[in-house]
Amino acid sequence: MNGNNEPIIHIENIHKRFGKVHALRGVSLRIQKGEVVVIVGPSGSGKSTLLRCINRLEEYNSGKIVVDGIPLDSAQNINAVRQEIGMVFQSFNLFSHMTVMDNLVLAQKIIRKRSKDEAHKVALDLLKKVGIPEKINAYPSQISGGQQQRVAIARALAMNPRIMLFDEPTSALDPEMIKEVLDVMMALAKEGMTMVVVSHEMGFARAAANRIIFMDEGQIIEEAPPDQLFSNPRHERTKRFLSKVLDH
Amino acid sequence: MLTSRRLETSDSALKNIPGAEPHSRLDPWWWLVVLVAGIIAILSITRPDPYWRIILFVRDGIGVTAIITVVSFILMLFVGMLGGLGRISKNKAINLITTLYVELVRGVPLLVQLIWWYFAFPVVIQQIGRWTGISFLAAYRANALVLAIFGFVFCYGAYMSEIFRAGIQSIPKGQMEAARSLGMNYFQSMRHVILPQAIRVILPPVGNEFIALLKDSSLVSAVALADLTRRGKEFMSANFNPIETWTMVALIYLVMTLFSARIVNYIERRTKFER
Repeated sequence: MNGNNEPIIHIENIHKRFGKVHALRGVSLRIQKGEVVVIVGPSGSGKSTLLRCINRLEEYNSGKIVVDGIPLDSAQNINAVRQEIGMVFQSFNLFSHMTVMDNLVLAQKIIRKRSKDEAHKVALDLLKKVGIPEKINAYPSQISGGQQQRVAIARALAMNPRIMLFDEPTSALDPEMIKEVLDVMMALAKEGMTMVVVSHEMGFARAAANRIIFMDEGQIIEEAPPDQLFSNPRHERTKRFLSKVLDH
Repeated sequence: MLTSRRLETSDSALKNIPGAEPHSRLDPWWWLVVLVAGIIAILSITRPDPYWRIILFVRDGIGVTAIITVVSFILMLFVGMLGGLGRISKNKAINLITTLYVELVRGVPLLVQLIWWYFAFPVVIQQIGRWTGISFLAAYRANALVLAIFGFVFCYGAYMSEIFRAGIQSIPKGQMEAARSLGMNYFQSMRHVILPQAIRVILPPVGNEFIALLKDSSLVSAVALADLTRRGKEFMSANFNPIETWTMVALIYLVMTLFSARIVNYIERRTKFER
């Protein structure tokens, strides 16, 4: 351990196959505490798969991932790591049989062993933070997609994670709801949360990211700070991709 | 002020979404239960001989039928849940055993299974007891009620496993992923997230199984249990009035199944929720 230089997420030479498809081909990545990393790339490039490997929702065939000093190798370690990582999904995945409040309280009680009052207080504070304290007793089906995604972010934050993973958090949202979710993410980034975001929101990437990772065909092609990557990409494939997503 | 008013109206509108009506309202099919119960009452009052005599004679049989049905049903819920979890298990051994169980049980008629448990199983136990020299196994005597319930649980448990499997698999994968990503283990996720949602999907077919079981319980009359059907047979052979006896037995079954169907319907409506 060499103090502050030790990355909070250390990915080394990950390979992942889905049957015949070689989804990740030797990906290595180090992410420092407090960094905001946005992963971009065409669909099928393996960016979501890589993100899901970090909390082992996806098993990988070979390679090594160490999160906050804990290697992802035993069931016990995987659960320990998951408790330190919050995950936000494209399809929100709120527990549909529970109210917003119960969604936020459940894991706090089971995993963090918080009392009911304490968990409620944490939940309410977070709902205020994401701007929807009035929806506390609503069911997921009764609120909009943008509100559901903000609740999902609050649910992940209620576990006091050290890292947040976002898997295309705005892709399932109507255009007018995207901003409310991105605002919450932006606020988180400013607070110094370590974030790994898979997204097509280039505006967010430009404004919030310390680093952009461009992936294609299961490999990291290029990584650079946003200014550099957007204005001066080095690789031909990066140029082609950016010309498609930026020119409109 | 204006926004809060609008919120209130939208909230009250949400309470009236279809299927989530106040559950105190009885559904109209209750009148059918009342009608059949009424026919039984009228028959026993206007012609106490033989109808009221039949009811008095088969009364204990109704109790046996009810006990077999209710006890078997409760036990088969557990078997079904374990079987369902086994069928979706990634553990190859567990998966193989439960799949084998379901496939074998579904291929043998229920009546044959009940007869096997009652007539063959005790002999198997006695043989094992003799070979191994364990005396209490060798002296094993069949208890008709226990073996009948065992037979039903074993058979219906297989069908129930399939219902649980389908119910659990109908819950979107993201629900499990969200639960796991919060640090819950497999069983915590199942218990708090997946099963509570699956129950609502499972409820209608499980209710149907209860009613099917109630009717199938008449098969135990073949294995020396004095259930409603068996008692009917006994009354008939003593009095030689097949029309009255079997009409009354049929009406008693009918009132029990119709009543059960209404209860199932009531529970379904109460647990309905919008996804």
